[in-house]
Amino acid sequence: MLAHAASPPDILVVVQSLDDIVSLDPGAAFELSSIQVCASVYDRLVRPDRTQPSILRPELAASWQIGADGHSLDFELTPGARFAGGHPVRPEDVVFSLGRAVKLNLPAAVTLNALGWNADNIGRYLLKVDTRHVRISWPQEVGPIFALSVLAAPVASIVDAVEVQQHESGGDAGNRWLSSHSAGSGPFKIRRYIPHEALVLDANPLAPGGAPLLKTIVLRNVADAATRRLLVEVGDADIARDLGPDQIAALQGKRGVKTLRWPSAATHYLILNTANPANPALKNPAVWEAARWLIDYEGIANKLLQGQFQVHQAMLPTGFPGALNTTPYHLDVAKARSILAAAGLGAGVTIKLDVFNQPPFIDIAQSMQATFAQGGINLQLIPTEAAQVYARMRSRQEEAAWLYWIPDYFDANSTAAAFASNGENGTHNVAWRAGWEIPELSAQTKAAVEARDPETRNRLYLAIQQVVQANSPFVFAFQERTELVMRDRVQGYSQGLEPDMAYYDRVTK
Amino acid sequence: MAYVRAIATLALTLVGLLLVTFSFSALSPVDPALQLVGDHASKASYEKARHDLGLDQPWPVQFERYVVRLAHGDLGTSRSTGQPVSDDLKRVFPATFELATLSMIVAALVGVGLGVLAAWRPSGALDSVIRILSLVGNSVPVFWLGLLALMLFYARLQWVGGPGRLDDAYEYTIDMPTGLVLVDAWRSGVQGALGSAIAHLVLPVLVLASNAVGQVTRLTRAAMIGEAGKEYVTLARAKGAGEARILVSHILPNITGVLVIVLALTYASLLEGAVLTETVFAWPGLGRYLTTALFAGDTPAILGGTLLIGCCFVFINRLADLLARTLDPRIR
Repeated sequence: MLAHAASPPDILVVVQSLDDIVSLDPGAAFELSSIQVCASVYDRLVRPDRTQPSILRPELAASWQIGADGHSLDFELTPGARFAGGHPVRPEDVVFSLGRAVKLNLPAAVTLNALGWNADNIGRYLLKVDTRHVRISWPQEVGPIFALSVLAAPVASIVDAVEVQQHESGGDAGNRWLSSHSAGSGPFKIRRYIPHEALVLDANPLAPGGAPLLKTIVLRNVADAATRRLLVEVGDADIARDLGPDQIAALQGKRGVKTLRWPSAATHYLILNTANPANPALKNPAVWEAARWLIDYEGIANKLLQGQFQVHQAMLPTGFPGALNTTPYHLDVAKARSILAAAGLGAGVTIKLDVFNQPPFIDIAQSMQATFAQGGINLQLIPTEAAQVYARMRSRQEEAAWLYWIPDYFDANSTAAAFASNGENGTHNVAWRAGWEIPELSAQTKAAVEARDPETRNRLYLAIQQVVQANSPFVFAFQERTELVMRDRVQGYSQGLEPDMAYYDRVTK
Repeated sequence: MAYVRAIATLALTLVGLLLVTFSFSALSPVDPALQLVGDHASKASYEKARHDLGLDQPWPVQFERYVVRLAHGDLGTSRSTGQPVSDDLKRVFPATFELATLSMIVAALVGVGLGVLAAWRPSGALDSVIRILSLVGNSVPVFWLGLLALMLFYARLQWVGGPGRLDDAYEYTIDMPTGLVLVDAWRSGVQGALGSAIAHLVLPVLVLASNAVGQVTRLTRAAMIGEAGKEYVTLARAKGAGEARILVSHILPNITGVLVIVLALTYASLLEGAVLTETVFAWPGLGRYLTTALFAGDTPAILGGTLLIGCCFVFINRLADLLARTLDPRIR
């Protein structure tokens, strides 16, 4: 018996972990896999350009105009656009989609809340003007550029109101039905979703952006990375995601497979909790400064993780508008020692570091433990389940932690509001978790999000990043790269910075 | 009266099982509310999620609520799939049932056969080889063996199907009303589907069975040797019966009671212990479902899965008792 090892010619088989998917409702999707899927199934009014994401392109909106007050946008919908089910895309669908996402008030709604929308007031800010126009306004003191960025986020996907309302149950706005079905106008539609097993997407021939080139995509949940590697190596899978550096290395030079890399928006950083009374040394800026010189940036990025990370030492990831790309720090043990000695900490410092108990986090932490020890900082690693690390941080129990950050939407404010603003007691605010009191920087962050001119915004964010880079309890060190292994026959796939920038519609094989 | 006692015992066993599982879930460091809303959620969203999940109540109240819902046939909704737990279990259990049952059949045939052969000449060369093999079978980690088998028989030699239950040409296109891939592939009438199902089953069944074979072999051998010293065996030998006849016709029927119990316990452990095999072979069964639920702090799914396994365990044990009594008059 000879097993046949090749995926069918009209089906793209992608192997990855789908265990994180809770819901495929765009109003609820907040996990990496579900966001990625929703991007192929739903359109938005506007969307970042595939190659230059800082430029927003029309999608379901043919054009838009900024209102005279600077707090509204008038959109003209693309004529002739239809959902996969055949219904035309109407202003009512836009009003319904954004309204339901806010009213559902699920975790994804936090992006829309940034415009000042909530379940009580949203009705006042979404208005059908006529059969082709819709007006969107907002109460928050933010500029239209920022508002457009929010409307380009996955949670602002437009659903077919007629179809969804037919499946409403108990006032859930169709949430339960949409968690495993689709009602969008994107290049694909959901044929079948089997939780923890597979998601099958069929081409949508009515897609306003053009029908995709392949008939079907099968996303298969294969939890074990070694198994994913075998599947793509043999040819039963066309694309394998999330392989470790060792698996990628083992596939180098193999016939029939290629490895592609794109920068990802995920950054990795060290947080020092200045509000932890158990370790007063963490308040000392000398410890922050010394830590910056005690990470083996190049060694970790290029040797330990074999290029899956790149050195990046600023808050905003490279590729975001206004990102700071300087890398002033490198491993310099002598310099770190002198900084600590000058601060009266020459006898050494001990810090407990919370870290996720899985690669690559634990590998990075072990490397840091070695170099920090040389510099006089004794890092005591506390490998812990990720959820437990986050729970400890939300109650500010940690001394320090090694973490990663992915912006919720493609705008600098998503990151700046978390790291460079501490105006309220918010457990979700990273600056609050670090106990970093920064009234001036918080005001600068507020000014940046309110600015209407892109150049002004970029300039403000550069200044904010310089402060965070040089004098904060955060040490940004790396930016991830998305690495995919695919069969040689697969062409046309493209990937952007954010998880929702996975484009399957132009793939051929 | 016996039936009433049996049902009462079953109910008490299951409530005890649920209580223990619920207590462990409550002690888990995984915060289900945080898992649900994500790290970026505001304090208000987080508190709302805790309230919606009932986590702001004392855990005895949470347990009481669960049991009351259970009494009405409601296993709750899984937080990691968003689907009713009963629907999830209906989907994942047949996959594990099929895998474990086929592995059990292989383990029973091979294990009993090897056990009998080993008992033929205790401490002889064949016995030594079989004992070493069964020790290896018992000791080799299933995860490692599974990956090795995949690399050799799937990736290199391409003799068998790879991870998953069917080739992609059939998977997700044929209907699976029973959830048993052999049955559904056969009923679909799609050419090649049944062959694909068999090709995909071979490796996981053999890998899962490998561990059980060692156990069954060792226990069969021990039972056979224990029985070989009995007077009726000496009598049979004195009457000139051959060794093969003594082993198969005289000793083997007398250890069926023990064998049934051994096989029942092995089967139950296969049903609950296929996690690693399911992970390596991307087999969408109960083991993987429970593992994912554990990492997600998905209490309704954990309790539902545990309850199902508990029911299987109790049912298999009761069935084994009945069978053993029927087959072996000495323990009636």
